[in-house]
Amino acid sequence: MMTLEPWMMLVVSMVIFGIGLFGLLIRKNLLVMLMCVELMLNGVNLSFVAFSKIHHSLDGHLAVLFVMTVAAAESAVGLGLVIALFRTLRTVDSDQIQILRD
Amino acid sequence: MIISLLVFLPLLGFSLTAFYHFSCSSRKKEPTVAVGGFLATGAMVASFCVSIVAWFKLRSAGFGDASIEESLFSWMKVGGLQVDFGFRFDRLSAVFTLVITGVGSLIHLYSIGYMENDGSARYFAYLNLFCFMMLNLVLGSSLPQVFLGWEGVGLASYLLIGFWSQEMGNVAAAQKAFIMNRIGDLGLLFAMFLGFKFAGTLDLAQLSAFAFRPDVATIFGLLIFLACTGKSAQIPLFTWLPDAMAGPTPVSALIHAATMVTSGIYLLGRLNPVIAQSPVVMSVIGAIGAATALMAAITACFQTDIKKVLAYSTISQLGFMFVACGVGAAETGVFHVMTHAFFKALLFLGAGSVIHALSGTQDIFKMGGLRRVLPWTFWTFTVGWAAILGLPPFSGFFSKDGILHETLVASHGNPVLFGILAFSAFLTAFYMTRLYVLVFTGDSRVSEEAKKHIHESPLVMVIPLVVLSIASLVGGWFGAPVRFEETHAAPAHGVSEAVIMVVSVGLALAGAYIAYRKYSSNVRMELSKDPFRIDEFYLSFFGNGVKKASSMVGRFLEDGLFQKMLQASGVAVDLGGNLFKTVQTGSAQGYLLMMVLALIGLVCGLIFGVPGYGNF
Repeated sequence: MMTLEPWMMLVVSMVIFGIGLFGLLIRKNLLVMLMCVELMLNGVNLSFVAFSKIHHSLDGHLAVLFVMTVAAAESAVGLGLVIALFRTLRTVDSDQIQILRD
Repeated sequence: MIISLLVFLPLLGFSLTAFYHFSCSSRKKEPTVAVGGFLATGAMVASFCVSIVAWFKLRSAGFGDASIEESLFSWMKVGGLQVDFGFRFDRLSAVFTLVITGVGSLIHLYSIGYMENDGSARYFAYLNLFCFMMLNLVLGSSLPQVFLGWEGVGLASYLLIGFWSQEMGNVAAAQKAFIMNRIGDLGLLFAMFLGFKFAGTLDLAQLSAFAFRPDVATIFGLLIFLACTGKSAQIPLFTWLPDAMAGPTPVSALIHAATMVTSGIYLLGRLNPVIAQSPVVMSVIGAIGAATALMAAITACFQTDIKKVLAYSTISQLGFMFVACGVGAAETGVFHVMTHAFFKALLFLGAGSVIHALSGTQDIFKMGGLRRVLPWTFWTFTVGWAAILGLPPFSGFFSKDGILHETLVASHGNPVLFGILAFSAFLTAFYMTRLYVLVFTGDSRVSEEAKKHIHESPLVMVIPLVVLSIASLVGGWFGAPVRFEETHAAPAHGVSEAVIMVVSVGLALAGAYIAYRKYSSNVRMELSKDPFRIDEFYLSFFGNGVKKASSMVGRFLEDGLFQKMLQASGVAVDLGGNLFKTVQTGSAQGYLLMMVLALIGLVCGLIFGVPGYGNF
């Protein structure tokens, strides 16, 4: 029977992080981009847990709790920003939001 | 600490007067001449009293090589260079100190009267500053300290020439004096470098005792002499002195006749043993001195401004002193410095009294007949006139005669020098008598406007005149105040002093008689002329040269090079901006991509190392 080795968890976390990063880079919808950020955060969370298991310490779990708290706040603020942007610019397409240049 | 006391008293006076001036200005009160004059004159008189005490102290030590030395603190210590800030009071310094503080006190006193209407406490602060710097110059124990005084008197001279700075001409004259002196100062600086390099010290006593290599001694002497030509107004750097007459007349008397301009003679006297090592330097000094004496005397005959005549006369007399130094009789030169300080200060103050009486008129052809209205000025001026002519028993007779005699008998003496100086003495008698006759005798040519205010000067101005005329009378009776060693070779020619005496007095009387015949009656107006036009020559040769060079530099360097360089830097920035502008797209995802790529690059660098740098 196959046991769950820590390296497998690391591989999975890396895949999830990579999907999130890739999605963040290529998707144009701001909402989707926000979700991708969440994906990346969760990938990191998973790696924290994996390292925690490797080192037999609870520090990683602690960090995960922090990250989840901050992620909740972040998504709340992020969604607020997206709505504000949509109200002013009538779009959630990141290609059309280039006001950073000015 | 007696020497330090006499040096720092004028500095104290300067500080007090300046403090008074500023405290008045801050309270919106006009600082009065009386208070400033009292403070400054008090400081100078106190300094003079201390000088006399010091003189007697030196006398009880037996003169000769005796000196009072005071070292205050170590001034600079760099590598092998060790310079102490201190004073050395020996016989040469003593003579100069007494002249500076004595004549200085009188001129301070005189200034209270002369500057009463258009002076301020500032003026007296400057005068005190000048005296402090001048005392530093003649009492400093090392060459850098002399240099400090040298520059300090230059500064004070600049401030005082341009004292009435409302007029552009005065400011220009002040700047001219300052800049021309800088040329000479360069010589002193280089002489210092040379002295340190070869003698390893800048202490004056050690420096003058040092035996330089002959070629070094020549260069050193020439550099020192260059400095002296600047400060003492000799060819080629003399043209600032006539212009310096723009300053108040007491300033001309103190700085540009009695003291500052003689500091060249002091320096030559102080470094006499080194100067005497090189026959070349001696001949140059003699030749330049004689040429200056003659040229200035000729120019003085064509001047119409009373102060300009006296200024050229000063240049000419300084030439006499330099000849004395050049023929190897520096002590006679110093003797003439002393007597000249008395009678030339007297003449300048007398001229000041005349100008004061005539509400500012300086043209001698607009004077005349002043004998009756200015009796005190007239009689004291007569003494000064007799002294500069060299009539016995006035002081000028002894020193001028001494110099004429030395040109024949001293070790570097030369009959040609004697001839030039004798002719200059003849011209001196001519132009001084011309001045004297035009100002004091004959009919009055004073303008009606000036006639209304004509008046004899107040007591504070008359007292210095009387004291100085007594000094001009008796100043020469005790012979040269300083003796240097080994300057007295056996007389080369068997000319007795009596013959010289007869010749010089005869020449003086002849010059005076010619001038009297020409100017005592039927006076025709003359215009001021400068027969040599050295000033214009400098202006066209150096002035225009500098202007041309400047415009060339302006065209090629400024427009051609610097402008282009500046433009190039602008263009480079512009190009760079355009290049990097393309990166700033405003797309958040683009930025993110760059961040990710950079991060990947960084991580790769961490893991695999960077070519040329190795691992981080």
